[in-house]
Formats: sequence, C-alpha cells, structure tokens
Amino acid sequence: MTDLDEHAPAVPPRRRSLRRRMVLLLAFMGPGIIAANAGNDAGGIATYASAGALYGYRTLFAMVLVTVALVVVQEMCARLGAYTGQGLGALIREQFSIRVTAVALLALVVANVGLVVSEFAGIAAALELLHVSRYLSIPVAAIAIWALVVFGTYKYAERLFLILSLVFFAYPISAALSHPDLAQAGAQLIYPHFLLTQDFLLLVVALIGTTITPYMQFYVAAAVADRGIGPADYPKEKLDTVAGSIFCNVISIFIIIATAAAIKIRAPLESAKQAAQALTPVAGRFATQLFAIGLLGASALAAAIVPLSTAYAISEAAGAERSVSKSFRQAPLFLGLFTGQVFVGAAIALIPGNLITLLVRAQVLNGLITPILLTYVLVLANRRGLLGSAANGRAFRITATISVTAVGLLSAIVLAQFVLGIFGIG
Amino acid sequence: MAVHGSVTVVSALRSRYEQRTERVTRLRQVQSELVSLAGLIGRPVLDQSGGRLGRVVDVVVRWDDDRSYPPVTGVVVRVGRRRAWLPIEAVDEFRRDLIRLHTARVDLREFSQRHGEAELAREVVDHQLVDIDGARVVRASDLYLARLAGLVQLVGVDVGFGSILRRLGPARFRTRPTPEKVVDWASIASFGSQHRPGGTLQASATGLQRLRPGELADLLEDLGRTERRELLAALPPERAADALEEMQHEELVRLLREFQTADAARLLGRMEPDEAADGLRELGTDERATLMAAMPTAARERVATLLGYGGRTAGGVMTTLLMVAVPTETVARVRERLREHREHDEDLAGVVVVDDEGRLVDDLTMTELFLADPQTTVDELIGPPWPVTVTPDARPEQIGRRLVESRHWSVVVVDDEQRPVGRILPDDVLDVLLPDHARFHFPRRLR
Repeated sequence: MTDLDEHAPAVPPRRRSLRRRMVLLLAFMGPGIIAANAGNDAGGIATYASAGALYGYRTLFAMVLVTVALVVVQEMCARLGAYTGQGLGALIREQFSIRVTAVALLALVVANVGLVVSEFAGIAAALELLHVSRYLSIPVAAIAIWALVVFGTYKYAERLFLILSLVFFAYPISAALSHPDLAQAGAQLIYPHFLLTQDFLLLVVALIGTTITPYMQFYVAAAVADRGIGPADYPKEKLDTVAGSIFCNVISIFIIIATAAAIKIRAPLESAKQAAQALTPVAGRFATQLFAIGLLGASALAAAIVPLSTAYAISEAAGAERSVSKSFRQAPLFLGLFTGQVFVGAAIALIPGNLITLLVRAQVLNGLITPILLTYVLVLANRRGLLGSAANGRAFRITATISVTAVGLLSAIVLAQFVLGIFGIG
Repeated sequence: MAVHGSVTVVSALRSRYEQRTERVTRLRQVQSELVSLAGLIGRPVLDQSGGRLGRVVDVVVRWDDDRSYPPVTGVVVRVGRRRAWLPIEAVDEFRRDLIRLHTARVDLREFSQRHGEAELAREVVDHQLVDIDGARVVRASDLYLARLAGLVQLVGVDVGFGSILRRLGPARFRTRPTPEKVVDWASIASFGSQHRPGGTLQASATGLQRLRPGELADLLEDLGRTERRELLAALPPERAADALEEMQHEELVRLLREFQTADAARLLGRMEPDEAADGLRELGTDERATLMAAMPTAARERVATLLGYGGRTAGGVMTTLLMVAVPTETVARVRERLREHREHDEDLAGVVVVDDEGRLVDDLTMTELFLADPQTTVDELIGPPWPVTVTPDARPEQIGRRLVESRHWSVVVVDDEQRPVGRILPDDVLDVLLPDHARFHFPRRLR
C-alpha cells in the first residue's frame, strides 16, 4: 500500500464475476424484450418451424401483420403497467364487474394450461431427440420443476435454462448460411399474401397465438409495474417495448426462413428431428443435439414460469397470498393453481400422439383465446378514467381496434370452421 | 429472561386476540342482521306504499376518523336513466333484498360525490385494503353493513373466496351473506380512490402504530402503487424509514423509482446508512447520482463511504453509525450521549473506545456500561474481553465465523490503521448469508 492510501479507508476494487456480468446483461434487456422473447418457447419454435416447412416463405407477410399487432398490444400493456403500477389481473378486477373478471381469468387459465401442455411436449420432444422416452421424461420433469419451485431452489435452475435457450439465437446465422431464396423471401415479406385454406388459417391463428400470447400481456404489464417504471420513465420503456417486439419477431421470421430453406419438401413437420435440420448450416451433424438443448432450456424455463404467472395473476385478482415461500395452508390458491397446472399439463402431454402437432394445437388454442384478452387490454387502455391523458388517442385507438378485430375475426373463422367440421359441414 | 420474554409475547398475543373477538362482527345478533353490499346492488328501492322507485346502484359512506365503523350517508339509485341520490334519512327499512323509504314523496337529486365520502361498490369492493391486525393486504370480495345504535354502518369486509363465488352465481342467492372470512372494519385501513386526487388513507393512527416495521414492509410490497404512496404518506417519517429498511432490495429500488426525487432522497436520508446504501447499490449510476445529490449532506457522506465497498464485504454490510468514547470520559457522560441517540438503538450494540490517534482500544458492551458505576471513567472499563475486529474487505462467511467463535454481539470494522470505521451486527451478516427465496414476483423471474 502506498503512502497516499494511508489515511483513506481501504477500498477494494469492485470485482465483477462472470455470473454477475451475465445477470447485468440480462437486466439490460428490458421487460419488453424479455416478454416478447418468451414467445420463442417450445410452442413458438414448433409453430414457426411448421410454418416454414409447410408453406415456405408464404407466412412471412402474415408475420409482418402479427408484428404490427404485437407492437400495438405490448405497448398498451406496458403503458397500463407504467401508469397504474398494477398488473392486468388487479386492473381487470378493479375495473370490470366480477363476472366479466371471471371470464377473463378463466380464459387466461385455459390458454396457459394449453401453454403448459406445450412446454411439457417441448421437453419431451427435446429429450426424445436425445433418446429418452417421453413416458419417462415428462413425469420426471413435472416432479422436478414442481419441487424446484416449491422448495425454493428454482433460481439456479432457471439461470441454466435461460442460458440453454439462448441457443435459438443461432437461427439468424443459420438462416444466413443456408442460402435462402432472398428474392422470394423479400417478396413474401412485403407482398400481401393469404391462402384461404383451412390449414393456412389455422397456422396463422397458431402464429398469432404463439406471438401475441395472453401470458405475455400479463407478463409485460406486471414486469413494468414491478420495476417501478412510472409515467416519467415511460418514453424509454416504450422504446424498449416496441424494439423488443420487433426484434423478437425478426428472430421468429428467421426461424421460418431457416426452416423453409432447410426443408425442401412442403409437408407438415413429422418430428422435432426434422425441425432441427434448420440448424444444420450452423451446427453440422450436431444440429439435432443443439436444437434439443435449446428446446429443453426454453421449454423447462416456460414450464415453470407459465403456471407461476397464471397462479400469480389469479391470486392477484382474488387478493390472495401469492408467494412460493409460503406453505399450502397459507397460500392454498396460489400453490394449488401452480400444482394443478403443472400436473394437468404434464398429464395431457403424456397422451400418445405427434408432439409437434400437439405443440402447434396448443398455440391454436392460445390464438383463439388471445382476442378475448386483447379486448380487455384495449378497453382498459381506452379508459380515460384510468389512464388520464395517457389513454389511447384517436389514431392509436383506431389502429388498435383494427388489430384486435382482425385477430378476433380470424379466430372466429377458424372456430366456425372447426365447429362446422364437427357437424360434417365445410 | 427468556421465560419472561415469551410470557409477555403470549399475553400480548392473547390481548390482541381478545380484542378481536369482542369486535362487532363477531356478535351473534349483528351477524344475523348483516346486509351484503354485493347482494344489495341491483335490488329495488320501494316507497312507503310499496311502489317501485328504482334500483340500488351504490351505497355511500362517510369516512370519519372518530368512528371505527363508517356510517352510511345515502344510496345511489338508478331511476330511469338517472343516477339519483337518496339520503339515508329518507330510508325506513334497510334490508338485504330491498330498501324501503319513509315517505311516498322524495326529492331526487342527481348524485354527485362529496369530499370525504366513498362509493362502496365502485371504490372499495374489489380493491385493496390493509388488514392491520392480520398485517396483510386483502382484496374485498364483499362488504357487510349493519344497523348499530340506530345508524347503518359499514362493519366488516369479506375476504373469502366463497363470497366471490356467491357473487358469480345467480342474483337470488347473492343477498345471503356468507361471512366465513370476515375482517372487522375497525382493523381495516382503506385507501382514497384514484378518482379523487388527494384522497387519503382511512385508518386509525393507533392501528398503524401497532404494525412492526417488518410487517409494514410486507404490506408495502403487496400494495399497488397509489395505495403504497398513501400508506407511506400516512406514516410518520421515521416509521416509514424503518419500514423501508426491512424491505427486499429490489422492492426498495422500485419504491425509490416511483417517488419524486426529493421524497425518495428524504426517506433515504432517514434510513440507516447501510440499508440506504444497499438500495442505492441496485440503482443505475445516473439514478443513484441524482438521488444522492438530493440527500442531506451528512447522510450522503455516510452512504457514499459505504458505496465505496463491495456489496458482499464487511464494508458493504456494516453500519457507519458508531458511538465513540475516549478513555477520559465518565460512564455517566457516555450514557447521556447514548440517550441522545435513542433512535439508533437497534444499531448501537456497543461503544467503541479510541485513543488520541483514533485507534481502537476497546469495544464496551451495553451490559458493561449498564453495570458500571456512573462516576467511573471509561478507561477503568478497558480490558478483556477484547473487541472482535475485521477489515472492510472481509467476506460475510468470515465475519459470521468470527461472531460465532467469539460469542460477541457484534464485530467492529477497522481500517489498516486500526481505526474503527463501522460495526456489523448479526442481522447484517444473516441478511447476506441467508438464501433469499422470499416472495414470488413472476416478472422478476426472468432477470
């Protein structure tokens, strides 16, 4: 120590471990980016890959429209969180009658149970690629995730899953290396294009469901409120939300392009192994393993987060204790909902059948429910009594209404086709 | 000592419980007369001869600081397309399923809210309330009204899930109260509404006094933003600061961000420096600089020193509040100075004795000072047990081990010259060492 230091208290240099820097990096990514990226979970990957495999670049224009809708919706949710400081669950309970609230929460539970099913299907698909039977992997995963969360050691597992799921950032590189038909991809991106077949519409609804997930709307509002972001900080947050939504859909678009370029035969995806081919330009013969790791991370991460977030939103609305560190007796609603979803979801995922189809179907379910919750968000964001001058302006209201109506119309058509199909018509 | 302590706790708990059992909602005759607010909404308002005037839209109460139970001042009635005001004086029968008036002729004015009043169905049901006795945040599933001493009053809040189900069910089952989980209104703090800026927290000051800082911190974490502001504003500043010290660091950061810079800085200034530094450490550089610039100078300097150390070192967790004595002082003088610093008593586990150079000579425990003759001088107390010291860069594990080995209540942090710079109490170490799997906030899970 030098003479200069003698009279000053010893100040050790601030060390930052690699882990700390990693966390800082993730913290730098705002709620908007994280929320939108949650869309690239098991269901998302399966749906985007299916879109690429089945229709090549033809769904790209739909993705552009979905991006616009996503930006509009996420912005409204972030604004609600920033200006009211509350999550959507509490807002809906306070702003709507109890019955209307119950409808919203029921819709959320159904959509999220669908998501939980798809997360467990994702875990199963990933481990099947590594030659583990799903009848072993799903029960073990369900018990492990439940125990990790309830006994409070989930935090470390979560970081691992998060890092594993970063594998999917390999998609843009893969898309670039796979020499896609750029002219065609570009044209499909800009040129309005829709196929009016039932399967195409179903896939578009799945794309909507996996991109504009009800779960994400609840997430972004709560995350913004939770970080103490208020009206003063909102412009920055708005930028983050919009940029995050666009960024994540760009990744999604790359997943579609990479898969479309890798799979030449336009047919429904048979297995996760096929979907993994899209990563061949990056990983060569290890593409399957790489894909499995990413899928496992993303699925396991969401398999805990989705049921937790549902339980949180419902308990928030009901005003019940919401904490994982409480016992069942203290927080019966919260822990009961969490447990129920994990095990019901895992049980449904165990039903024999094609996992990729199951994954996409869960997204269709989400897509059908999305417009219901979007309506709530729209009504709340329009309310001057709630947001004051930050309520939707006229132009925004028109854009948002058109987005929500379009999503709702599409869901209605698909639902009508499905119902008619049951009766043998159509 | 220990036995006495637990006896006091038990008797305190018992008196608190007994207090609750005597509350009005527990009385049998009141229970049979409870009117469910949710059930009453939508029910008919009849005039004296049974003619239908309209239907109940809302019930209005007046917040009154002197009363435990807010009296109903009137009813909002939908008559045709109008929302009309019906003062309670005009009401003869206030029943679960209908309201009957004294007269056939009423003067129906358009309803407009007055200051100090609240519309129960719109502003209180389904909103957050604080159950002070239970020290928890609840959401009202229903409210119960009852006639007490000739006045219709708001007596209880239902927080059960059963009442939510009842409200979801058909209208004819809705009027029957399901009071399985009712909190007496006397122990409830409720908030002003967003529609009335400046609306203030409705709670008895004594009620809030009963809450411990840790309980207050839990409440603050569970409340929505407006409610949190109101609760903090209703607390005396030093109690608010105590509560903030007990909060999770992330929660504290959120709260600091929500506040105006001046308010946040004032609260920080009142907090113990080590807890304030912990909160500031989690903020971004710019935010931290802005807040610190607004803090009182003395507090800022203390906090700045602490911020210079890493969060998980002795320097980062210690408190810089030190009571320093010199060997020539008398014990009486030291005690007098301790009395002046009563507000920091939780952080003063002892008095450090320093020599002319400011170097640590001894650490006198409170017991030593208590037992000593007031007229003796401090140097007569110097002797074993010698103080336990660590350097500012010591790890929490090391400090914990030193505490356990020495069986001391605290360790003194000294710099390279053996000058005391701070003190570490067991809770500071535990705070860092215990895994914090506290409340689940799902948005934070992905960070």
